[in-house]
Amino acid sequence: MSLDLLPGRVAGIVGETGCGKSTLGHSIPRLLPEPPAKVKAGKIVFQGTDLLRLPKWRMPGIRGTGIGMIFQEPINSLNPAFRVGDQIAESVRIRKLRERGLIPGIKPEVKGYDYSKRELPKASDVVTGPFIPPNVSQTIKGRGPPMTREIHAEVLDFLRLVRINDPERIVNLFPHELSGGMRQRIMIAMALSGKPALLIADEPTSALDVTIQAQVLTLMKELMEEVRTSILFISHDLGVIAEMADDLGVMYAGHLVEFGPVGEIFESPRHPYTKALLRSIPNKYKDEGALPSLSGSVPNLSHLPDGCTFHPRCPLARDVCKHKPEPPLAPLPPGPQGLLHKSACFFPEEVPTMP
Amino acid sequence: MSTPSLPATKAVKAGSVAPTRPRGALRANVRLVLRILAANPLTLVGFILVVLVSVTAFLIVAVPVVSSVLLHRTLSILPYPALDYAAFPPNQAPSWAHLLGTDQGGTDVLSNVLAALPTDLGIGFSVAGVSLIVGGLLGLVAGFWDTPGTLSSVASIGILRITDIFLSFPTLVLALAITAAWGRGEVQSELAVIVTWWPFYVRLTRGEVLAIKVQPYVIAARAAGVSETTILFRHVVRNVLEPLAVYFSLDVGTVIVTYSTISYVGVGVPPSIPEWGNLMYQYQDLLLTQPWTVLSVTAAIFITVLAFSLLGDGLRDILDPRSRRIMSTTTVASHSGEGT
Repeated sequence: MSLDLLPGRVAGIVGETGCGKSTLGHSIPRLLPEPPAKVKAGKIVFQGTDLLRLPKWRMPGIRGTGIGMIFQEPINSLNPAFRVGDQIAESVRIRKLRERGLIPGIKPEVKGYDYSKRELPKASDVVTGPFIPPNVSQTIKGRGPPMTREIHAEVLDFLRLVRINDPERIVNLFPHELSGGMRQRIMIAMALSGKPALLIADEPTSALDVTIQAQVLTLMKELMEEVRTSILFISHDLGVIAEMADDLGVMYAGHLVEFGPVGEIFESPRHPYTKALLRSIPNKYKDEGALPSLSGSVPNLSHLPDGCTFHPRCPLARDVCKHKPEPPLAPLPPGPQGLLHKSACFFPEEVPTMP
Repeated sequence: MSTPSLPATKAVKAGSVAPTRPRGALRANVRLVLRILAANPLTLVGFILVVLVSVTAFLIVAVPVVSSVLLHRTLSILPYPALDYAAFPPNQAPSWAHLLGTDQGGTDVLSNVLAALPTDLGIGFSVAGVSLIVGGLLGLVAGFWDTPGTLSSVASIGILRITDIFLSFPTLVLALAITAAWGRGEVQSELAVIVTWWPFYVRLTRGEVLAIKVQPYVIAARAAGVSETTILFRHVVRNVLEPLAVYFSLDVGTVIVTYSTISYVGVGVPPSIPEWGNLMYQYQDLLLTQPWTVLSVTAAIFITVLAFSLLGDGLRDILDPRSRRIMSTTTVASHSGEGT
């Protein structure tokens, strides 16, 4: 598994259920319970530090401001006992304390953009989005010590950032009083309020129904343009990935089998699995009858087949694929756009003619 | 601070932009609690009884002290001094002068029973309270830091094995044995009960922590960069508090019964202090001839224990923010901000 996440780019990860997408997402900020989980070999290099060699007690300093995370289930990812405002405030407070050097941890770098402010709305925004008065944080006066007031103002800003119209009321509500879409917005606000350099979105829309999914995706897309954090977007939905990601990684049985720019992979996949996956997307315009599906299922991750893990299901498989050890993720000859495209197949040039 | 504070009405009008809770939140909470109580009549009974019992106990202790300081005269809400031997003719049936009659020692039964209330209530709260704090803290540590192979897991296993040792003895027998060894006295017997009592809280707390620490919201807090200690004492503790409070309320009654048993057997408080177990012992021979003596002590224990049990059952509804959704008539914010 080798994956480079570049600053300001959105990398999508797709794959079937159980192929290790979420495990990948959780293992980067070392959120898997250790033991039983253990990253046996390799490196997770973040801003020049190998996270695997960092002592465990230093990991909280990386999380939040360094690596933020949005989870799959908005229903359970907010503490039921606290008001949502307090939960975002906790994340803001941690960042502020780190910015001031009061507690150890990664300081969010200044990237020349401001998370908390949008540009002045255009006339069309009044219909499509909430009107956000500029510099609203300065106009807020309240009780409490200056730090608390500052944090509260920021919490309201972040709630506005995720397009919540009446943050003053929402901050005082408990998670169970909000709908799934609202809770997911709170989760996103929480993750963004740490101003992370890398944001891992682990199927942020899978638990939501389709209409809310569309809203949250639109929101995330707007935020990506606004915030320009690097994002690792994990999903099993190719349509979502096509919409959101710049680069696409395809995972199969715990391995990355193809990685490259989204457009190029969709146009000319260079791994049989990717090709089979793309074929199973229904055509928007005409009914082509039953969709082709790939026979068999993902192998048990604790008993992987010898050779290429995909060979039992691959129409191109030969003897080489069964015996030669797992093909590496090798760069392909540059395509029409000249961008880096990698595939872990022995015969990538045969994929376009695959039956 | 130099910033002028806004008048309350203005703050509310401005959409309550104050960083703390909007004003009137306390009153709204009180109203909500009252509404939950009204919906559960048994809890309401328990609540009223607990308030009554606690206020009575407080007045019994406070009135003599306050009056002696302020008026230089000792007043009391008890009809007569408690355990004042040979003050009245013995063995009288209930009358207007002595509502529960008098006992064989010539003391007023009502005064004795009432005077025992603060003692027993105090014992119930202190024993359950100390056990809650000691057992709760040990349970938190044992449940949260039990990752195998670390130093803390050794401590965690140690705590649990010691707990097991204490739990393997019958509570009452162990408490009696310890009191017998330490000697009779209020403090000794109370400590003896505490020694047998805290392991239950370790078990309860640990079980809850084990369930809560794998919840997605704990992992989400960890992902937000919250340190492990803060996760334990903020996110986990707040969610353990509910079951603990319920158990505590039920437990106060149990402690009172257990402690009365110890006193009844004769190793609790000395006979000069009014206490229900003591009074039971003194009145046990009168069950057939003057049943009101024993029965009034029994009734006192019964009412107190019942009060805390009934309250404990309803406490879950009051403490759990989720149950408030059903009770609260305020509009639920579900769709604001959507559809943008």
